[in-house]
Amino acid sequence: MRVLWNELKKILTWKMLVLLIFINSVLYFLLIEFDIEYFPNGSDMYSYNLGIEMIKKYGITMDRDEFIDFEKTYADDVKKADDYLQSREEFGEEGLETYEKFRDYDWVNRSGKASELRDEVFFNQSVDLFWELQERERLIEFYKWKDSIPERLSKKKQQRFEELIAQKKFGLYPEVAWMNFKRFIANVGIAILFSVVLVISPVILKDRSRQIVPMQYTTKKGRKLFRTKILAGVIATFIVITALLTVYFSLYSLNNTSMFFDVRVNTFIGNESWFDPTFFQFIMLFISGIYIIGLVFGLLSMAFSSLVPNMVSLIGIQIPFVIGFLIIGLYPLLPDMISIWNPKWLSLISYCTIIIIVILFTAVLWKREKKMDIL
Amino acid sequence: MRIFLHECKKALTSPILIALLIVFSAFNIFIIVSSSDHKEELKMVNEIIDRYGREITDDSLKQFQKDIQNDLLELKGITGQQFDSVYVFLDGLRFEEQEQYSDKDWEFINSLQLKEMYFSMANSIDESYAEIDVVAGGQGDLKRYGIGGKAAETYSEENEEFAERFKEMVNNEEHKEWFFAGKSYFMHSFLFKTVFLHIIIESLLLIVLMTALITTYEFENRTQLLTYSTRRGRKLMKDKLAASLAVSTVISLLLFTITLGTYFFLFDYSHVWETSISSAFNWEYNFPNVTWWDLSVGEFLIGVLVLVFIIQLLFSGLTFALSVIVKSSYITFFLFATLFVLGWLLPTFMPKSSNLLFVSSYTLSTLTMAISQSFMGSNGLILFKNFEWMTISCWMVITIVFCAITYKYFRKMDIQ
Repeated sequence: MRVLWNELKKILTWKMLVLLIFINSVLYFLLIEFDIEYFPNGSDMYSYNLGIEMIKKYGITMDRDEFIDFEKTYADDVKKADDYLQSREEFGEEGLETYEKFRDYDWVNRSGKASELRDEVFFNQSVDLFWELQERERLIEFYKWKDSIPERLSKKKQQRFEELIAQKKFGLYPEVAWMNFKRFIANVGIAILFSVVLVISPVILKDRSRQIVPMQYTTKKGRKLFRTKILAGVIATFIVITALLTVYFSLYSLNNTSMFFDVRVNTFIGNESWFDPTFFQFIMLFISGIYIIGLVFGLLSMAFSSLVPNMVSLIGIQIPFVIGFLIIGLYPLLPDMISIWNPKWLSLISYCTIIIIVILFTAVLWKREKKMDIL
Repeated sequence: MRIFLHECKKALTSPILIALLIVFSAFNIFIIVSSSDHKEELKMVNEIIDRYGREITDDSLKQFQKDIQNDLLELKGITGQQFDSVYVFLDGLRFEEQEQYSDKDWEFINSLQLKEMYFSMANSIDESYAEIDVVAGGQGDLKRYGIGGKAAETYSEENEEFAERFKEMVNNEEHKEWFFAGKSYFMHSFLFKTVFLHIIIESLLLIVLMTALITTYEFENRTQLLTYSTRRGRKLMKDKLAASLAVSTVISLLLFTITLGTYFFLFDYSHVWETSISSAFNWEYNFPNVTWWDLSVGEFLIGVLVLVFIIQLLFSGLTFALSVIVKSSYITFFLFATLFVLGWLLPTFMPKSSNLLFVSSYTLSTLTMAISQSFMGSNGLILFKNFEWMTISCWMVITIVFCAITYKYFRKMDIQ
């Protein structure tokens, strides 16, 4: 136990922690800040507000009656917009006295005056009502298409779409919060991956390059120390991931999206999935995913660490693995892990495969270490 | 000399770095080959330049139009109908009818379509350039980015100068030269952004690793007590710096030769080297690419290459200094990567009303990331005419001073 504690102290040194904090703050500004600072971004605000209003009023699903009520609210708002337009003569002069005319106006071949008025409504004075109407129109449009299935799908995907339609699960709730979370977790995934690799990589190589391994292996604990080192690495990985997740999720809580947590992922617009967890359950899924990926890369780093001759090679050999994972694996394994656009079991099988490969790899190395000539 | 060569050998014979070089080259070749579907279509420009000359003049356009009319007559021969434009024919074409025409006919139709595209683009050059108002555009940018105060003054001043240059460019007719259609193929972005940034970042990874390896080699192999007590002693660091610079040059030369070799093997640039980089056809996004000086494509490529090589040597020098202080190649690498990103993000931390906003963008990272827009006035907030040479010379001074200080520091450092 004492050895384990000391090994752990060797991994999480002050120097390393300072470097970790420095790197994470730069990565935060590079990748994550945008999705925290600018949420909801610009006109997404209306989408976000409408989503909250819908959840308050209709709950996490909407049936036909509730939708009729939704359309009624839209009609009321249109009336308000009509009143607004009629109250201002300039609009009448351009032939924009009702909202319907305003909406269907030929903006492409617009006259200068009309587009000035439009800019005024949307940008200069920013009449919220017009933005809200647009958002409501968008949702009504999606509702209209709820029973249609995209063309040219594989059989399984088509079945899933039909299943969802039969269960009346269709995308209707505004997707801003969801998309924001997906971008956020992909970037958090990148930050955590780099951090784990940074902290864990030198674990085993450090002792070897200091040439203290021969001494360690002739003690009473002997070669079992290798196992302790790996255990210490795994624990350190857990600590690093947990600490970073705590920090990043407390930052995420500033986005204030908890109202959406009970909504099922399939009821967000354009987000058909193989399974149907709630937003909150998906966050849990993501957290377990990131722990697995972190552990796999932690173990992989330790494996490389016991193979390569020096620190530069240790970094060099991991570059293709980390970058390759970021290019190929990150999205299917984290934000899109249950998305219908990937094969159903892809993420689960990939997770199992990488876990098995890494465990086998470590076992082989442990065997090798037991018999290796250390001089 | 022998010491120098042996220092170089330390980096160049590292099997993992060699493997990385091979992986990177393969990756670059893959990227280039996988987006080379349109390489045959690009040859149309060569044909046009052969026939009508590199410069677009009214006469040559008239000739071009006549030839298109002849081709349309030929199209009539194939289809039996008269069309004003091949696009009318293609729009009216039904899916079943496609098989009526032989492959040779299709080749003809496609080339005619390309010709018409280039012709209509060339025809609308004057019109679209007349619409551009550089000064107003600059004001719009200031408003969009929320820049005020001193920074806005500086920007407007530079932007006005650029407006002069823009006028001069239009008067010289630098923009009236044939090049691959930017809005359809994005060849400038592909070469100078996608391909170049891949090469630069890959070679930077290798350079940083190799420099750190050479510099910290003695400490990491526990030979420092031996090597630094020889007659050469701590002057060995000079050899290490020289070796790092040499190895960096070799590595980026290799990577550049392999990648650009593939690129120019696949894409035929033979006719467009002389074309101005400010050509109207090199207009990809909202604003055309306009350089501060009259540069041809070939000159621009050489200029950018020189810039990149200097940047990489500077980075190698900075890595050297950093790793002398840190004494660990591992930490050097991560520190370097983080500082690189920090240098790039620096302007975003600056107040938007002070000139610091622009000063902080004179970093090597920003220069590297914006390499496709070097020498250009159409480069957003870093349009400054002196941006490239100022950045390079400032950082050259910084690097030399930094290296000299660390060398001095190292001579007295405790190496136990």
